[in-house]
Amino acid sequence: MNEFVETLLELTWHEPKSSYDVVIIGGGGHGLATAYYLATQHGITNLAVLEADYIGSGNSGRNTTIIRANYGIPESIRFYQHSLDLYSTLEQETGCWIMHATKGLLWLAHTESAMRNERARAMLNTACGAETVLVDPTEIKALVPQIDLSGGGRYPVLGASYHIPASTARHDRVVWAYAQGAMQRGVHVLQNTPVTGLIRDGDRVVGVRTATGDISAGVVMSAVGGNVSQIAAHAGVRLPVRTHPLQAFVTNGYAQGFGPIISDTELLCYISQTARGQMLIGHEYDRETSYSLQSSFQFLQANAIKMSYLLPFVRDLKILRQWTGRCDVSADFSPIMGFTGVDGFVITTGWGTWGFKAIPAGGEAMAELIATGRTPELIEPFALSRFAADHTMADQGSTGTR
Amino acid sequence: MRFALDDQPVDFVDGDSVAVAVVRSGQHPQHGGALCLTGDCGNCSADVDGVPFTRTCLTPARPGLRVRRHPAVGGPPLQLDPPKNPVQSPVHAGVEVHRRHVDVAVIGAGDSGTAEAARLRAAGREVLVLDSGDGDDVVGVYPGPLVVVRTPEHMLHVHAHEVVIATGAAEVHPVCEGNMLRGIVLAGAADLLRSKGVDLGTTVTVDIAELSRFEGTDGRVTGVVFSDGRSEACDTAIVTSRTKAPRDLLARMVSDPNVRVVGPAAQRFDLPPAPVDGFVCPCSKITVGDLQMVWDKGFQHLELVKRAALCGTGTCQGGVCMPHLRSFVSDKQGVEAAPFTGRPASRQLTIAEAAADVFLDPFRRSALHDEHLKLGAQMDRFGGWWRPWNYGDAMREYWAVREGVSLGDVSTLGKMIVTGPDVVEALERLYPTTIADIRPGRSRYVLLLNERGHLIDDGMVCRESDDRFVLTFTSGGAAFAEAWVRDWIDTWGLDVRIMDRTISHGAINVTGPLAGALLQRVGVAEPPKFLQHRHATVAGIDCHIMRLSFTGEASFELHHPVAHSVELWQALMKAGRDMNITPHGLQALFALRLEKGHVIVGMDTELDSTPRRLNMDWAVKMDKPDFIGRTALARTADLPDRRRLFGFTMDGPAPTEGAPIYVGERIVGHVASTFTSPILGKAVMLGWQKHEPWADTVTIDGRPATVAHTPFYDPEGARARA
Repeated sequence: MNEFVETLLELTWHEPKSSYDVVIIGGGGHGLATAYYLATQHGITNLAVLEADYIGSGNSGRNTTIIRANYGIPESIRFYQHSLDLYSTLEQETGCWIMHATKGLLWLAHTESAMRNERARAMLNTACGAETVLVDPTEIKALVPQIDLSGGGRYPVLGASYHIPASTARHDRVVWAYAQGAMQRGVHVLQNTPVTGLIRDGDRVVGVRTATGDISAGVVMSAVGGNVSQIAAHAGVRLPVRTHPLQAFVTNGYAQGFGPIISDTELLCYISQTARGQMLIGHEYDRETSYSLQSSFQFLQANAIKMSYLLPFVRDLKILRQWTGRCDVSADFSPIMGFTGVDGFVITTGWGTWGFKAIPAGGEAMAELIATGRTPELIEPFALSRFAADHTMADQGSTGTR
Repeated sequence: MRFALDDQPVDFVDGDSVAVAVVRSGQHPQHGGALCLTGDCGNCSADVDGVPFTRTCLTPARPGLRVRRHPAVGGPPLQLDPPKNPVQSPVHAGVEVHRRHVDVAVIGAGDSGTAEAARLRAAGREVLVLDSGDGDDVVGVYPGPLVVVRTPEHMLHVHAHEVVIATGAAEVHPVCEGNMLRGIVLAGAADLLRSKGVDLGTTVTVDIAELSRFEGTDGRVTGVVFSDGRSEACDTAIVTSRTKAPRDLLARMVSDPNVRVVGPAAQRFDLPPAPVDGFVCPCSKITVGDLQMVWDKGFQHLELVKRAALCGTGTCQGGVCMPHLRSFVSDKQGVEAAPFTGRPASRQLTIAEAAADVFLDPFRRSALHDEHLKLGAQMDRFGGWWRPWNYGDAMREYWAVREGVSLGDVSTLGKMIVTGPDVVEALERLYPTTIADIRPGRSRYVLLLNERGHLIDDGMVCRESDDRFVLTFTSGGAAFAEAWVRDWIDTWGLDVRIMDRTISHGAINVTGPLAGALLQRVGVAEPPKFLQHRHATVAGIDCHIMRLSFTGEASFELHHPVAHSVELWQALMKAGRDMNITPHGLQALFALRLEKGHVIVGMDTELDSTPRRLNMDWAVKMDKPDFIGRTALARTADLPDRRRLFGFTMDGPAPTEGAPIYVGERIVGHVASTFTSPILGKAVMLGWQKHEPWADTVTIDGRPATVAHTPFYDPEGARARA
């Protein structure tokens, strides 16, 4: 019996129509979650999600599945904590098994200045509702007996902030949970339907062009990852977004034996064990901007050496597979959600390396925005207009990037 | 000769792979599944000498080898034992890397590879042929192109102008009822086993086009049932396939104009009949029934079937299942399904093999590193350097600065000489401060802004003559600043020479009320005045003395060739012995500067801190025609701003750095830096308010704190000038 297969719920496909109240471009987590919440919380089901390839084929199927809220500014912490909370009840709500597991996340510090940052992180996180405590090397060793606290003699572990509710879920199954829930309520999800342009009536966006014909829409939302700058350009919207490749790899599958998620603030890499037993290792995104999905050996080398310093046992694990996604990174390293200044066109982007964890909260907030025409308070700080207004939300230190 | 399989001896002969020897002993390296013995499937992988998922068909048998089968259900255990000697870096042990630079690398020495290599050689090209039969196991072809290879002895990185993938085609594995039994081999494997003298017993040969199912007892094959209903008993079933599947994983993982695919690896092939039963993906134990179930649930796309059923995501990366998965999907959708994405690695390597011969950036040490250690310093890394954090008692160091004399190693500061006819013009554009009116012998504190008007560094500009300046930058920002300054000057095409002296010159900060007196003892009769600088001999060493103040006390930075750092440090320590001279580390320095309200870039500032947000508009001259960041500052000058760095004070001990700042229940910001000032008798802080209106009284750590002007200590700066 294959539990993984048997627990899947059914996807109900529909024939496309030429007109919808809402058209969402991008059948990844954010697009499908928005559709799901529009259907479940606002009763809007005359809507279509257009996917260029197959659902979850973009970054939703290429991320490292970590759910956490230990960000560096209150606005972000609250937003991601809400997302973390929604994730923790998503299985009950949708009836789909997303393989959600609460693991706890250790952010290791190797220097006094890094300890200072982690102390600050723990305090601000806790004050904003994201449970995070400072732990010392003895406590770290108890949580991760495999760790070399000397860091191979090079990266001594002085302490860590321990974000207790951090968890993981199977990325594909999150996409399918939202897709299934939306489709069941009548939402149309159209695969293999790349959008080639936007239809405009004066200053307003009134539909999309696709290879198989025009589709008109009351509201068009872009939930595109990777090529978002091009989609926005069709509406005349210029985004402060750069796109970088982000790579990761997994080893073969081993028996369960590694509990928490470990992230390193200096080495900028992280590791966890998946439900399938694979050790999953990721890194900051590539420095160069690119839409390329090619994996590099240099990435593998850098991660392999870093993890060997911290967790010597990984040395004998066999690397199974590498892959690459695309990170849309905004000028202040925070997401961009909401109105664009162009009527009929709203956007959710700038998801960098933090998109997966934001799927439930991002989808719920965008659904409310579309349904009510008003920006929910939770995402007000993340409006596109903040760049022109000089109200940026810089939070670079929380992203596993620099 | 013997090795151990699950602790039981297995005999082998010279030339045997582990898999061949295991089959010769009547066993199977796993618990079942057809064997190809060519590395295409994962059905022979086992734990070899503590490394699970090793393909035993590619592992030469050796005496003493310890082979363990993976568990029948679930993965092999993670070997979590901590290393025996954790302090010794384990990272570079064991794996050697060889590098080859070649004109053409041909992967595969079969018919197509051999022919291609001959053709290229005839055309005068230098060719390296890599074949798994010779032990060259290709892990991946990466952009470059770079071919990463495992060999039995070492890793091999081949940098080639051109890569030819000539990996040929692989026999197709059987997918039908009973295909996980032991005793099923592909035709090539049967030939290999026979050539090694392995007795296969009674054999039956069947083509997959005519195969219905295998029969067996106790997990071992006993017979073959053909599609026409006929059955034959056997000890070993040999499976042939009329068409072979291109070995194109390497080709699918790279897209590079200098990589091409030749021969059967590039050819179209006829898919096998759609599978109806059995295990389609032995690596992940996925059955045809699983595929059918996900298809019926609406996962009707090859990639969705793969992801939903997890078919093809195991060790062989689709080597076994791909033809059958494609056939299954093609049959359903009526259109031939393309293969799924190819991703490295083609053949798995260990993390140690990937990490071999890789070195991370070194941590830098100043020339005074050993002096600090001798003085009992606790070292910490800051800004890429090892720095003294304290010398055992940060408060003692603090008081030495405030009341006596102290040394600080500031060798890590960025130090640059800029000269040339256009130097003033260049600096006027680089810095928001006025440069032209700095007189030779004088210096000025400067901000460095990026195009967005955000603070990226700060430092001093010291003018030596009309066309010669010395610039300093922060320790952590020096490398970036050097590139920044060079790039901009090149961009502008200005006639300026740049010499970076960050590494070649050390610097010692002599600070405290007795600093001037100490300098007099070591030969500087008249130390420079505040914000002046000049060259002088100190204890016999040529120094450039810059008088400024970060600590709030009289401070003289002695910049000198790094070869003399130790000599100068020792001379100063000796001359100040009766003054109780005490060096200070970063911990004391951070406290001292905080009493003066000086910000540390990166610690108190944020990614998007404009001078206005830092109350540093005094360091920006908007009346200058241009400087980097001016456009952005002009654009944002009239926009409402809701962020500002404030000084705060409160009674009692300092809160923890990073503590949230509240107005009522609302978090309005956080404490950037704080310190319980013994000289002021209260906690002093720099902290952010990110909401208007600005509050005068806030709550931190449950206690009231009030906004206070900086500097907290000696606001007139009398001590720095003394």
